[in-house]
Amino acid sequence: MTDRRRINGPVGATIPPVFEDTLTQELKAVKKRSRPPNAIRKMYLKTGVTPSASGSAYLEIETTGKPGVSGLKLSCSVHGPRSLPRSSPFSPHMVLSTHVKYAPFATNKRRGYLRDPIERDLGTHLEAALRGAIIADRWPKSGVDIIISIVEGDQDRETSKFQGDEMWDMMNALSGCITVASAALADAGIDCVDTVAGGVAALVQESGDDSTSPNIVVDPIPSEHDKILAACCVAYLPTRDEITNLWFKGDLPASEMELYTKMVEKGIQASRHANRVLIECLTETIG
Amino acid sequence: MASAQHVLLSPAELAYLHSSLSLTPPIRPDGRTPTQFRPLVAETGILPGTNGSARICFADGTEAIVGVKAEVEKTRSRHDDETVFVEGAGDDGEEEETDDITRTGESDWIELTVEIPGLRDDDSATAFLAAMLSEALLADGGLVKRLWINRRFHWKLYLDIILISPPLSYPLPLLSLTTHLALLSTRLPRLKSEGDEDPFFDDDWAAAPYLYPRQQTATPTAKSAPRSPATRPPITLLVMAVANNILFDPSKEELAVADAALAVSVTSSTRSDENDDGDGDDSMDVKEKKGRNLRLLSIRTVDPPSRLTPPGVANSSNAAYGVAGNGNGKATEGRTAVAEGEAVVEGVWRAPRGGAKRAVMAALVQKALERGGVVDEVFDALEGVELG
Repeated sequence: MTDRRRINGPVGATIPPVFEDTLTQELKAVKKRSRPPNAIRKMYLKTGVTPSASGSAYLEIETTGKPGVSGLKLSCSVHGPRSLPRSSPFSPHMVLSTHVKYAPFATNKRRGYLRDPIERDLGTHLEAALRGAIIADRWPKSGVDIIISIVEGDQDRETSKFQGDEMWDMMNALSGCITVASAALADAGIDCVDTVAGGVAALVQESGDDSTSPNIVVDPIPSEHDKILAACCVAYLPTRDEITNLWFKGDLPASEMELYTKMVEKGIQASRHANRVLIECLTETIG
Repeated sequence: MASAQHVLLSPAELAYLHSSLSLTPPIRPDGRTPTQFRPLVAETGILPGTNGSARICFADGTEAIVGVKAEVEKTRSRHDDETVFVEGAGDDGEEEETDDITRTGESDWIELTVEIPGLRDDDSATAFLAAMLSEALLADGGLVKRLWINRRFHWKLYLDIILISPPLSYPLPLLSLTTHLALLSTRLPRLKSEGDEDPFFDDDWAAAPYLYPRQQTATPTAKSAPRSPATRPPITLLVMAVANNILFDPSKEELAVADAALAVSVTSSTRSDENDDGDGDDSMDVKEKKGRNLRLLSIRTVDPPSRLTPPGVANSSNAAYGVAGNGNGKATEGRTAVAEGEAVVEGVWRAPRGGAKRAVMAALVQKALERGGVVDEVFDALEGVELG
């Protein structure tokens, strides 16, 4: 509702003019993927960071080493298993509830304190990924809360004009969420069939090259590529060779099913890499 | 999760359903073939106050209404290279030439809301459904391009999806099909103004063009008919796997025993490929008969509610069937042994654990995207709906 009693400023926001700077021009030119197409970024994972929670983990994915590009920083805490409130109906399984929240300052555009539809959607994806991994029937009548806060989103602060970037960033955030939640679940001592980890693969097109055939890269950073045609995020259980969550987005002709299959394979490969870090982190805690 | 709504089936019923669905060919509770959809009643143009609307009623009683409303909105100007170019260039002819090329849209030109009775509108299940439907609409960027009026103005499209009945089954296919029909019947007023001036529209509703222009369907052999790019709005199908069988459009009970469930969004376009570029119209007609050019837009795993079903207890470990007779302490011992050993007894229901095998996932997508398969049938059936 507009406030009619006071003199208000203009409704539409005005955007101050931005003058092109030679310095930023140079920086923009540098932006290219320096990693090989099948290598994920380095990540740092530590469990047991929150003493009051029954399990917790912190994940940080390295920046690309350029100014203005922030990495992904996630913190996850697991509360439970604890008994359900008296009012809730009987459940033969553990009731899983997942909350994913971007910190207000994590992205280019400020987020509010209430969860928006994107964050709820991420939470649902995460729930699907984890529910396949945990052995829920060992804890009847109990609930567990998994809370992830994204302290720093994986966003390039310079590129405000790419509006479509946000939807690809969500994939990277989800894969990080899956990995960190899996570590926190292990830290809480909740039985799982396997450690689940997330991996992202994308089909990218470089306009600079004269070769028009798109190629598949693992762990993409949207600002490093000219155009992302499609991306998929996979949550994968390595020892059982099973997928608990698959999310594909993009525009792909149905005749090119090999391309799709290859993307899923690459996503699984990325997930295996992340899982290795996860296993190493967990063995370190024990030893 | 909406799919996790409680199914009132006992473990024995679940086991029976699962085994009958894993037969070859599977026996579904309502006697359908694996690829058959539930019968439905559809109509379009039911809401006079909207730009396009549709209603679909499934045989099981679930019913949805979609209304599409469009508003003219001022495009947010951004300090892009393009804007600078436009201001600098004084040549009108050149601008008009670039018009078609620079037609771009943004994802926030479409606003989609889903309302499901019994669920809060900030429920994550509703958010998941809305995200899935809007993701498919935005994936190829074709729809937002159509909303472009000129450099200063664009249409803002509001899609309001309302499920009228209680959600008796997972409502995704119903909502997606209704949205498809509503978008097909959507018309936007004909633009009278030219160039970048303030838009001015024809008030004759009969002259309003469709948002998705259609081909001249009356005589497909007539060569004079202008062939417009007949891209169609996307549809989202629910596919599930039980053992080695793949079932389409599962009902609530079937979903309760699913091993894996996927929501696959596809669209069809008759845009000519490179290989039939040089050919005439006849080859196109042949192609259309064979099947459409399908495009995969999105895939999402739907958390099957089968993971939340109560497990059955085998007779060998049931205290009521003589296990208790062996000794007082052994009854509990036996139960824990079974729980840990996880022995699978045939006919005793156990909620699936773990994910889906890679091959199963691939088969689900493969089956959904098959040329001349289910998707083609659905598109054919939807074409038969009269657009009012």
